[in-house]
Amino acid sequence: MGEYMQEERANALESHSRRLFLESVDGLDMRVRSRLTQARNAALEAAAASSRRPWLFQARILTPATGLSAAMVVVAALWLGAPMGRHPMPVADQAGLEDLDIVASSDEASGDAMEMLQNDLDFYDFADKATNPGPDA
Amino acid sequence: MPRFDTLPNAWMVWDFPAPARRGAVLEQTRELDKFLAEIERRAFRMAQVALRDPDDAMDVVQDAMLKLARNYSSKPSAEWRPLFYRIMENGIRDLQRRRTVRRRLMAWLPGSREDPEGEAQDPLESVADGGPDVPEALMQLEAMQKLEVLLRALPARQREAFTLRNFEGLDVADTAKAMGCSEGSVKTHYSRAVHTLREQLGEVW
Repeated sequence: MGEYMQEERANALESHSRRLFLESVDGLDMRVRSRLTQARNAALEAAAASSRRPWLFQARILTPATGLSAAMVVVAALWLGAPMGRHPMPVADQAGLEDLDIVASSDEASGDAMEMLQNDLDFYDFADKATNPGPDA
Repeated sequence: MPRFDTLPNAWMVWDFPAPARRGAVLEQTRELDKFLAEIERRAFRMAQVALRDPDDAMDVVQDAMLKLARNYSSKPSAEWRPLFYRIMENGIRDLQRRRTVRRRLMAWLPGSREDPEGEAQDPLESVADGGPDVPEALMQLEAMQKLEVLLRALPARQREAFTLRNFEGLDVADTAKAMGCSEGSVKTHYSRAVHTLREQLGEVW
């Protein structure tokens, strides 16, 4: 019985508050109504403008695309604009680096790297002696 | 040498909708107009109940209309109502958050009052008491004022559930969509709101 009474009172509150609310809506003055109409017209214009725009230029598509493009441009700029790109290395240094690269990339287990270095050193030693014979020659 | 005037028209005016699409857009615009005209006053009053200030309420409603029209007008019209109220409630929450921050900042400033809007007072104190010879319309106005004050004093989620369910007449599922929560939460918030209001309003209602 108590629950029934409570439910009835809750229902009465709901219907009474709804009635009051709707009456207050009906009682809105002309100024407010006019401003609401203006707001609605502005919204409709915005909707029409967004539907006139080609799909590619619609904000929902363009915004992520713009973000992605900007990110790619930044990455490309960082990649290409790195100091190595702006200041080319002297040719001699590049040759040295290539040698080092060959040495580093060789199979260490086979001992090729050290053998090649050793051969080169023997050759340079021979060449040096051949071109500059010393006092003992 | 190619000449621009020899290009087909479609290349030149490709941003205008085809006649069939234009018709669909017109129909959609008409439907949106009807929808907004149907809800705008109730939405304004609901925003005013939450924010009190009519200018703030107008801003929030206008913003919700624009966002709905720009971003969601292509959605099925059945989805507009919960979407619109979701946007509006988000706007209300943002504005209330900004007000709270402003109030806290003002409290730090010398010479400022702690509660410039008088929100900490007993909400029912500010409402005039209707005497026996007060006309019916005035009594109703006062009753509504009383209800508004109590609704503003409720937690935001309870107020949202009550206004969306009771004032706007949304069902539980649409209210859940508008509030961004589960249907169970809507039922809980709504029942708590009704319970609190009934206790506060007592036998008057």
